[in-house]
Amino acid sequence: MRDPDHSKIAHPGHAAAIVALMVLAGGPASAHIVDGSAAGGFLGGFAHPLFGLDHVVAMIAVGLWGAFLGPPAIWLLPITFPLVMACGGAIAILGVAVPGVEIGIASSAIVLGAMIALAARPPLVGAALIVAAFAIFHGHAHGAELPPGSDVVAFSVGFVVATGLLHLSGIAFGLLARWPAGRIGVRVAGVGIALVGLAFLSKAV
Amino acid sequence: MSGLLQTFVEGFINPLVTPAHVLTLLALALLLGQQNRPVSFLVFALGLAGGFVAIVLAVEATPARTVLLASAAVLGVMVAAAWAPKPLALLLAAIMGTALALDSPPQAVTIADAYATLAGTALGACAMLFVVATIAAHANADWQRLGVRILGSWIAASAILVLAVWLK
Repeated sequence: MRDPDHSKIAHPGHAAAIVALMVLAGGPASAHIVDGSAAGGFLGGFAHPLFGLDHVVAMIAVGLWGAFLGPPAIWLLPITFPLVMACGGAIAILGVAVPGVEIGIASSAIVLGAMIALAARPPLVGAALIVAAFAIFHGHAHGAELPPGSDVVAFSVGFVVATGLLHLSGIAFGLLARWPAGRIGVRVAGVGIALVGLAFLSKAV
Repeated sequence: MSGLLQTFVEGFINPLVTPAHVLTLLALALLLGQQNRPVSFLVFALGLAGGFVAIVLAVEATPARTVLLASAAVLGVMVAAAWAPKPLALLLAAIMGTALALDSPPQAVTIADAYATLAGTALGACAMLFVVATIAAHANADWQRLGVRILGSWIAASAILVLAVWLK
């Protein structure tokens, strides 16, 4: 369903310039670990998802879309994502390859951003399936980088908490959609997220 | 602080600072609070006592920590889904109590120190379970109930990742 406010989205040239700067400043999801020593405990795990812009925007988009769709999606999507993401991570840890992980991650930002920008309202199950499908790619990318060791519990908790907090920040921002001006702002954010995804997709293919 | 008191305190703190124990206790506490089933608390305590008896009887090394994390994953999903059949909740409470005890063997020199550590661990685990379950039981606002469910999904996700690393 398209929203009549769609025509009010910010000038594409401005958005493209912002996205170009953001992409230049951030690396892909495969380069999240800054250094080996930081990845040992909770803080290492917490920092892990924050160093990949493609991952960050997709996480925020999940919360943003959930808030935009309203209850029960506002809690169902942020619950679905980490659970399926963990399964994707487990698949990677167990050595099962998933093709096109980087393309899947970039596509997640494009699709989720587009859903927000277009004010799309698919059935709840459909929205959850879309989020779950992309969560596999995000989980796989991160799972392949989880350091084995005695503090793996703390690392995993930090990693999941950081991902969850990105969802919550998206929800907080998405709650602005209750007001007309906020709704426009949320949809503009969706355009930005999709453009970031496009930029990463162009690097991935 | 006397030696015995110190070992008691060390035992008390142990389940509160061991990440795997914190994760599993949080999962069970959230479920107990969410479902408001104090009987599960009693079952957990009985399981804990059974595990400590096994330690006293010098049971060999067990995969207790793996069992704990697997239970945490299942409990986390149950909290996220706000779904907990009573028999399953009771069974998991008993398993977690036993596994937590078996995963907390005292590093003590004397028998008295060992008993003090076990008593401290039992009290620490039960105290944490009680406090968090009470808080979760009083989380009645919509956003609080959703927060509990989201926490459950985070616990399950963390446990699944750790299990994958351990089972690799």
